[in-house]
Amino acid sequence: MSRLGTLSAADRPLVIAFGFILVILAVGTVYTLSTTGTMPLLTPKYLLLQLQTGSFLGICAAGLMAVILIGHIDLSIPWTLTAAAMIGTAVGGPGAVPAALAVGLCVGLINGLGVAVLRIPSMIFTLGLDTVLRGLMVAQTGGYAPQDAATPLMLTLAKSSILGFPAALFVWAAVSVAVAFLLSRTTFGRALYAIGTRERAAYLSGMRTTRVIIGAFVLSGLCAALAGALLAGYSAKAYQGMGNAFLLPAIAAVVLGGTNVLGGRGRYAGTLIGVVLIVLLNSVLSIMQMPEALRQIIYGSVIIGMLLIYGRGDRVTS
Amino acid sequence: MAAPIIALTGVSKSFAGIRALEGVDFAAFAGSTHAILGENGAGKSTLIKIIAGVLQPETGEMRLNGAPGRFAGPNAAADAGIICMFQELSLIPDLTVAQNISLSRPPRRFGLIDRRAQILRAEEVLARVRCEDVDPRTLVRDLSLSRRQMVEIAKALGRDPRVLILDEATSALTARDVQTVYDLLSRLKADGVSSLFISHRMHEVEELCDRLSVFRNGRHIETFAKGARSDAEIVRLMIGRDVTAKYPPKPAPVARPAVLQVGGLSWETALNGVSLTLGRGEILGIGGLDGQGQKELLLALFGVLRGVRATVAVNGKPGLPAAPVLAKARSLALVPEDRKTEGLMLSLSIAENMVAAAFDKVARGGIIDRTRVAALIDKGVEVLQIKAGSVDDAVSTLSGGNQQKVVLAKWLMTDPQIIMLNDPTRGIDIGTKQEIFRIMRQLAEEGRSILFYSSDYAELIGCADRVIVLYDGRVVRELTGMAITEEALVAASLNTGDAA
Repeated sequence: MSRLGTLSAADRPLVIAFGFILVILAVGTVYTLSTTGTMPLLTPKYLLLQLQTGSFLGICAAGLMAVILIGHIDLSIPWTLTAAAMIGTAVGGPGAVPAALAVGLCVGLINGLGVAVLRIPSMIFTLGLDTVLRGLMVAQTGGYAPQDAATPLMLTLAKSSILGFPAALFVWAAVSVAVAFLLSRTTFGRALYAIGTRERAAYLSGMRTTRVIIGAFVLSGLCAALAGALLAGYSAKAYQGMGNAFLLPAIAAVVLGGTNVLGGRGRYAGTLIGVVLIVLLNSVLSIMQMPEALRQIIYGSVIIGMLLIYGRGDRVTS
Repeated sequence: MAAPIIALTGVSKSFAGIRALEGVDFAAFAGSTHAILGENGAGKSTLIKIIAGVLQPETGEMRLNGAPGRFAGPNAAADAGIICMFQELSLIPDLTVAQNISLSRPPRRFGLIDRRAQILRAEEVLARVRCEDVDPRTLVRDLSLSRRQMVEIAKALGRDPRVLILDEATSALTARDVQTVYDLLSRLKADGVSSLFISHRMHEVEELCDRLSVFRNGRHIETFAKGARSDAEIVRLMIGRDVTAKYPPKPAPVARPAVLQVGGLSWETALNGVSLTLGRGEILGIGGLDGQGQKELLLALFGVLRGVRATVAVNGKPGLPAAPVLAKARSLALVPEDRKTEGLMLSLSIAENMVAAAFDKVARGGIIDRTRVAALIDKGVEVLQIKAGSVDDAVSTLSGGNQQKVVLAKWLMTDPQIIMLNDPTRGIDIGTKQEIFRIMRQLAEEGRSILFYSSDYAELIGCADRVIVLYDGRVVRELTGMAITEEALVAASLNTGDAA
């Protein structure tokens, strides 16, 4: 029996994704060796830089994972992130980051109420709210120019380095520890898995399913908002559309990390691997000076191809 | 005797290293109704899945009408006339009855599905199972479980079977439907169809079948003609040991303080003023024909239904719980009707399922205490004797009986005072059924109260201290102690009035 066969079904995607990360690095290194004769991809500096840019995506994916685990989706991430950053910088001063998080909290609450209480499918509701947020942000900058410069705290969190490591990495690590603990060791986390597996049975077991669903969306909103505050620091300002590039990669990272897109199954370690995979794939493709069109094609094909390797979920056998 | 229509020789099959079938020889003949008996996990389901082309045997061969047969899949088997009705209902809830009946081969006209022909065909096969009351245009999800099962049977008949496999096909049927199925099977038998019948209800097997095969632990134990063995002998063959009493003894009737009082409970058209009192340490049976409001009554008491009108007192405190979480807080528990979709989260582990209702017992401030979880699960596995390899396995790997025990264990962990059971033994083997009855009595002796709905009168007679019979959403009769007899239950269920 192959080594893969002895792994539990839950670990399989993690191993495959990790293997693919090595493949990406190998392919990139072969390319750079053949063109310039150097191996920049394997230097700590390059890898840390990738992790730093990956931390924004990683924080978004951490929150999104909770929503995907209950079998829902949060498509409002791009403009939650943008709105949080824009309102945070507009408030400015020491209140900037709390204001950004408050935006995320509110968006999450609205999403959660819409899905859990009004029973509107999350795909529609969160997409609608995303559009509403975009309109609000356009309106906000329409009449006058609000302050959009990142505050010192945002700059520090996103750009400074501690002990040679980027500070953003520490924020991501803190979020990761918190989410991993939440998922595996708390009643909230276990309820997420139960609801994602079968909401009806969870409800009939006396779980507070409405609260848990709202909680998952709030977590996703908060994470997107935190990513927004950091990204504003990284770019030194908040701007319209800054979150647009995060939705598909965040979903892809969670799903490539082995979380069942229909809910109920997945491990946080997988999401971490998924984020690194996405970030490196993007980076290596750009180092290889792929034309943008080809890059998009490869990027999308890889996501589909990996999911094919994982298998198409449980087949009905018994 | 003629050559068998199906003959298996030396068939073995294993899953993940566990032998499900081992060297099985089996033959079924045309014009025969053949019962396959055995506890859950005996290999019955694997056997019929091999016959129906769902699984491939690892060793051994199958012959169909004397010729070697090996089906690539269920469709190939269906083309050869082997039609199977599996335990899990195979109907698609969001399609209409007519669409379900001709799902695999819809009638076509100009390449498109001919709706009118589809409905006509559905009406025809529904008439054959005497379900003219089912409109082919209704969605399957709007039908009761017993109606769905009849549609399932109609669907199988619509495919002109030569070998018909019924796996627990009668477990959710009403008495009237069971009779219809009996008539159907004898007609099919006269037409030379071979039926393989799996049921845990011995009286059905005796009434219907002419040959019986007993399986145990993946092996074929014995095949014999009906009447060659007594019930007790058959049960012994199935479980490999003697069975003493089928039901645990009931205590003498005593006055019991009420823990649950319900007055005038009404909900939509299903419940029309149900009143009942449940005493401490009492097993109160709920009887009546299927669909008289029994399930709704349990759901209403558990806070699942909206718009219920009633005066309710639980442990003297008035008020109906408004949601399952509140019912749980008031020491109520519900083992729901369908363990696969309501009772369990099938793909999660046994452990995960067992603590699903008892988070407040194992967590402080929302953080789970792993040692307490492990202790609680060990205790649950031990008390209920759940047979599992590891509690970290998915609960779907367990047999039906052990799955139901997990549902029960989940609720026992909440230390409930009032336990409501909705037909808890449906599709469960005899051995596990008896264990569940024993556990019920033990819980009652501990001072817990049980509200027990069963579609099987024998269970009510054997288990309940008192029985209320529902008819059209009302209690029409209450029977106590020795007055709980089959005659009284049947008469009250039909609401004939002469039993009063």
